[in-house]
Amino acid sequence: MKEILTVTELNSYIANLLDSDPFLGQLWLRGEISGFRLYQQSGHMYFTLKDEDSTISAVMFKSRARGLKFKPKDGMEVLLRASVSVFARQGKYQLYVEEMQPYGIGGLFLYLEELKKKLAAKGYFAPERKKAIPAFVQRVGIVTSQDGAALRDICRILKQRHPGVEVVLVHSSVQGSEAPGELAEGLRLLNSYGEVELIIIGRGGGSYEDLMAFNSELVVQAIYESNIPVISAVGHEVDFTLADLVADLRAATPSQAASLAVADMQALSRQLDNYQQRLLRAMQRKLLYYTEIIDRLMMKRIWKQPRSLLHMREELLSQLEKRLSRGMTETFREKKMRLSMNVAALDSLSPLKIMERGYVLLQKEGRIIRDEQQVQIGDRLEVAMRHADLEIEVIKKERVKRWKS
Amino acid sequence: MEKLSFELALKKLEESVEQLESGELELEESIKVFEQGIELSLFCRKELSQAEGKIQRLVKNLGGEFELLDFEV
Repeated sequence: MKEILTVTELNSYIANLLDSDPFLGQLWLRGEISGFRLYQQSGHMYFTLKDEDSTISAVMFKSRARGLKFKPKDGMEVLLRASVSVFARQGKYQLYVEEMQPYGIGGLFLYLEELKKKLAAKGYFAPERKKAIPAFVQRVGIVTSQDGAALRDICRILKQRHPGVEVVLVHSSVQGSEAPGELAEGLRLLNSYGEVELIIIGRGGGSYEDLMAFNSELVVQAIYESNIPVISAVGHEVDFTLADLVADLRAATPSQAASLAVADMQALSRQLDNYQQRLLRAMQRKLLYYTEIIDRLMMKRIWKQPRSLLHMREELLSQLEKRLSRGMTETFREKKMRLSMNVAALDSLSPLKIMERGYVLLQKEGRIIRDEQQVQIGDRLEVAMRHADLEIEVIKKERVKRWKS
Repeated sequence: MEKLSFELALKKLEESVEQLESGELELEESIKVFEQGIELSLFCRKELSQAEGKIQRLVKNLGGEFELLDFEV
């Protein structure tokens, strides 16, 4: 090597070397996107593709990026077709991406995002669509694997809280390609069976891929269509699936689902004890209250000597009777006396009695004459005496003063 | 008493207790409420102890009918 090269010459030499390699000209590669940038003006995409141990820069030009069916994001696992070449200006080799698609969990993530959006638009996750979990459940339906830890956990907690609870299990695989269809069928089976008040669907923890059945559209649909309230219980606390979103209630774990499903019978039993005791106490208080009132009344002397009360009353009664009859006799006598007095008075006032004393009644045409003005000389007047009527004529009229009135 | 749900019975029981504890009832009414409360509490206890606590597996047999098989966890 005697020649002295410029930097540009070296870079272009390396570029030639790489470009002439058939393997590097067309390769499929998988990795995780990081440091993703989209230049708005140019429309080109720049990012770093990495795995656990190393990284490589990548560029996807606008003309290629236009065909993408998803939005690349940091953290996304992708599968891409690219060539490797040198970016001479910076002296580094990089990937020139021709096409790209999601891969693995990154791809799942994308699929889930799209499915979630689609189902959300259909109203699957709307809170108002969620059914209430009944408070006192006697029969619980479970859709899970009959061999799984989840079933054991659920049954243990159910029994602990409510020893009388009945469990109706529908076995289903919970991972693998059969799982979505079987889980959905299990839900439908319990719905057509109808005799459970609540359904728990779930499985124990596992890898993200293991839980994928609970993200499937089949399962989400079946949960959505269930007429019986559904509690989802998938994996651990951190795991979140579409089944959790559509379920009427999401339990963080299968054990928690069991706690949410049935009331704690011991607590209920204690509550019943409490109510019974309170009923008894309140009733006792009431009775005691009345007993005291009665006691207080009975304490009075009168109750101790009922006979004396009776005698007192009898005496009073006979006194009243005596007074009454005496009163009646007296009143009668008095009335009688007053009556005879009145009769005598009436008699002395009678006009006949007066006529007997010589007085007469002077009338003119049937009217009693009290005043000389009522008569004229020559008038004919009638005179009523004790034993006769006369007819007379006025011959003289003279006013006299008899007594001062 | 007509067929009650456990839930409703428990609620009625609670009401009976509160009514009686208020002390506002006449004696006769108190006795009625007390009797009703005791009846409700017995009903609730019976409901609690009624179920057998089985675990069964539901399948559809070949005839398309539901079948419950005993199952041990």
